Amino acid sequence: MTKSYELITSSTDSLLLCLLSEQPMYGYQIIKELKDRSQGYFNFKEGTLYPALHRMENARLVEGKWKTLPGGQQRKYYHISEKGLLSLVEKRDQWIGFLTAMNLIIQSDA
Amino acid sequence: MSAAALGDYLKSIKYHLRLSSSTEKDIISELSTHIDDSVEELKKGGLSEEEAQTTCLKLMGSAKRVAKQLCEAHSQGTWRQTLLAATPHLLFALLFALSWWPGIGWLLVCLTLIFGVAIYGWWQKRPNWFFSWMGYLLLPVLLAGLLLFYLPRGWAWVAIIFYIPVTAFLVYHVTVQTIRRDWLYSSLMMLPLPIVVAWFITVGSAGTSKVLNIEYIKYFGPWIGMSFLILAASVALFIRLRQRWLKIALLVISGLLTLSLVLYYAGGRLGIPAFAILAFIVMGLFITPAILEHRIRRNQA
Repeated sequence: MTKSYELITSSTDSLLLCLLSEQPMYGYQIIKELKDRSQGYFNFKEGTLYPALHRMENARLVEGKWKTLPGGQQRKYYHISEKGLLSLVEKRDQWIGFLTAMNLIIQSDA
Repeated sequence: MSAAALGDYLKSIKYHLRLSSSTEKDIISELSTHIDDSVEELKKGGLSEEEAQTTCLKLMGSAKRVAKQLCEAHSQGTWRQTLLAATPHLLFALLFALSWWPGIGWLLVCLTLIFGVAIYGWWQKRPNWFFSWMGYLLLPVLLAGLLLFYLPRGWAWVAIIFYIPVTAFLVYHVTVQTIRRDWLYSSLMMLPLPIVVAWFITVGSAGTSKVLNIEYIKYFGPWIGMSFLILAASVALFIRLRQRWLKIALLVISGLLTLSLVLYYAGGRLGIPAFAILAFIVMGLFITPAILEHRIRRNQA
């Protein structure tokens, strides 16, 4: 399957909001989860993931909370905010509308 | 490859980050935990400690690139920060455009506000909106220097002997503190200074700054106001932009454009040599802090 990096980049926020709407997660967990669920299609690099998470945190779409692990290590968990949930609903609608319209054209061609 | 290489990688990211110390600390802590997780996972997959570390760093990519992307994620200020950063320029624009400047009350309000907000900003660990306020806090220092020309000849020399080292120490200390955060903020802070000097020369009698002419200040008031308005718009855009090169280009263009505006409206009162020197100073406001930052960071590293 050929990957469209343009499509992946434009969908980053939707993917992250969708995952975080299920449960709070930390960076490494998000990368693994996206890779596993997409069967390797979404293989996010740290240089893509963390800037996106921080940008979304500054936009108050997600909220980062530090948690101390048993070994004394600190780990930052990202939680979706109210604003993030609203944004996700909007993005989902946009995405479904886009997919439906694309399918109508692409499948009719096929 | 060793644990030291991972430490060097994180150090390299920190070196290229130009954010507040608390944000930098959070980022490094988060990436450090991420690296630990990644190395553990790779070891579980059958790699040795050394192989896992090498693979982990390969997966992370260039430290400079990661730092640049993280900086861009943090570099866009909120609308509140934008308004706060533009406010000192707007205050001065209003002061001149609406001819409030002869009223000592308005002047005192502005100066008190600038002093108060700058101190508050310093106490808040210098957020992005702080630097434009800090620039105005340096204005009285500059004006005191320009007003030395009014003193009788003998006194002027005595004052200059005291003024120059004290000012040099103060400006150097503030600039270095600012550069430690990001040299670009130092340029942002100093940007109004050449503009103010240009207007000072323009409103001086017979094209010199020897005597300030109130009538000329009144006459040039709207244009002085406009130049501060351009600075306010530039600072607002600066806070909202993400890309660093765009921020640099914006400040350079804004400084030179405002200076050209002074030259145009001064109608010959600001000579081409004075304009050229001030334009050179504007360029120096970008080159000097960049070089200083490079040296400071190299020494720290």
